[in-house]
Amino acid sequence: MPVYEYRGQRISISDDDTEYKGYFEAARDQRLVVKRCVDCGLLRGEPGPGCPWCTSLKWEWRQVSGKGTIYSYQVVAHTVLPGFRDWAPFPIVLVELDEQSGKPNPGDGLRITANLLDEHLSPEKEENVAIGSRVEVVFMEGEDGFFLPQFKLSGEAPQGQLWRYQT
Amino acid sequence: MSDMRRKYCIVGVGETEYSRGSGRTTRAMATEAIRNAMNDAGLSPQDVDGMLSYHSGDSIPSTSVMYDLGLRLNFYMDCSGGGSSSEALIGLAMGAIEVGMCQTVAIFRSMNGYSQVRVGGTGSRAAAPVSGSDVEIRPYGMISPVQRFGFTFVRHMMEYGITGEQLAHIKAAHSNHASNNPKAIMKQRVTVEDVLNSRWIIRPCAHLLDCCLETDNATCIIVTSADRAKDLRKRPVHILGVQGRGTKPGGDFHYQHGPISRVAGYYVGPRVFELAGITHDDVDVTGCYDAFTYTALLQFEDYGWCKKGEGGEFVSSGVINLGGKRPNNTSGGHLCEGYTHGMNMVIENVRQLRGTVDDYCLQSQDGVHTYDYSEGKCRQVKDAEISMNMGWGTPAVGSALIMRR
Repeated sequence: MPVYEYRGQRISISDDDTEYKGYFEAARDQRLVVKRCVDCGLLRGEPGPGCPWCTSLKWEWRQVSGKGTIYSYQVVAHTVLPGFRDWAPFPIVLVELDEQSGKPNPGDGLRITANLLDEHLSPEKEENVAIGSRVEVVFMEGEDGFFLPQFKLSGEAPQGQLWRYQT
Repeated sequence: MSDMRRKYCIVGVGETEYSRGSGRTTRAMATEAIRNAMNDAGLSPQDVDGMLSYHSGDSIPSTSVMYDLGLRLNFYMDCSGGGSSSEALIGLAMGAIEVGMCQTVAIFRSMNGYSQVRVGGTGSRAAAPVSGSDVEIRPYGMISPVQRFGFTFVRHMMEYGITGEQLAHIKAAHSNHASNNPKAIMKQRVTVEDVLNSRWIIRPCAHLLDCCLETDNATCIIVTSADRAKDLRKRPVHILGVQGRGTKPGGDFHYQHGPISRVAGYYVGPRVFELAGITHDDVDVTGCYDAFTYTALLQFEDYGWCKKGEGGEFVSSGVINLGGKRPNNTSGGHLCEGYTHGMNMVIENVRQLRGTVDDYCLQSQDGVHTYDYSEGKCRQVKDAEISMNMGWGTPAVGSALIMRR
């Protein structure tokens, strides 16, 4: 069972894992993937074993563009994880991927969690973190072949009006 | 379904000291809390034949404490679950009695939530290997509940313009209540400015004082039929309606289904009001789960105490304060009395409906109160007849309970 050490945490993904193993294997190849239902064709952002829309158990990994928009965010000012102390304050963002936005129901989307990083793969400055900002995937290399999908600002025009809380 | 409205009662409540360093096991605390609740009800060991508990790998099973109190159980179950389990297990206790599996059920929660397993993620929880769905979030530094809920909070801020100052009113109100509660860990009254000046935990939705207090404590609630309740020591509190652990679509917090600023109360609320046969206007006192100020605000909106998006004005208006129209968390709640995964908010409302809240009034246990809500005085709501609890598990999971004296 591979156990990866990453920022002081032991990330354990067993050989018989059916949810996340393929996701991290693809990340090692610089590909961002989501599960696609073989029967109804819908993608799902949370890689569970069944299709939330048609209950099919048949699925395959499907590469997506890796482009998306920040849907929500938070800036961690106080972390309880020692391996993240040198990063704090650091942003965690909820990214809505471009694929299947607003489908199959209004308000649905493929949303995944990541850090927002700069070009040096350090935490992006807080004043640059905003809902509506366009982002693209980058792959952060850890130890022992562990690669983690992350996001950085793409420089594209924002989707709608940018929003960040004015303190 | 047959009408459950007058059939079941809460007849005993009890807890241990709310502390940050109990110096004893969850077994020892659970035993004391159950014993206190049995004494409160006037029940002997042979009268209690059912037991329910919930835990998240941080407690002891019913079979340990039944031995410690000399009970023989006809039914017991220890469930995995966090916030919103209190109300849910009250409903399950009613079901167990209704089908004849047992007659009187003690529900307990015991946690060394400060000195041993901390919900916030420090200690043993942070050291364990990261597996399952946690691999989606832990590599990004997301571990504590406020972080897991944070996307919902911040998206809600964007959609509706909620401010930190508005959230701080919730903490200020609950701290005023706690100042009249001898049991509360944090009895000191705080102002909106105190909250805003406390250090940030996550920006922009949670300062330190927007977060609840990890606590060592055990609690117990005893449920039995209205018929048996008549012979017991305390005035019974009747259960009008309970809706346990309802979810929103995709009952998770993977945030795949919008609007993510909507919480489970949107679905749970109409059901529990229908079961209880009452409306919002009938409710005199509420217990709205305040793991964070924001969990309370979201539930006020989605249970319909105000319009969606107007929670900020609602919590700033004085409605939720003692002396206001419908006080919330009169014990100080999780923000000030202590964090117990929801149990203490139900216990507080039982005492409110009995009219014997344990405040600083000299004859509080005889139901004599001054109704002077200034610091160090009274916290009894005058003539409280109906209460409502709104339990929170995650943004997607919640329970509700309506009781009548």
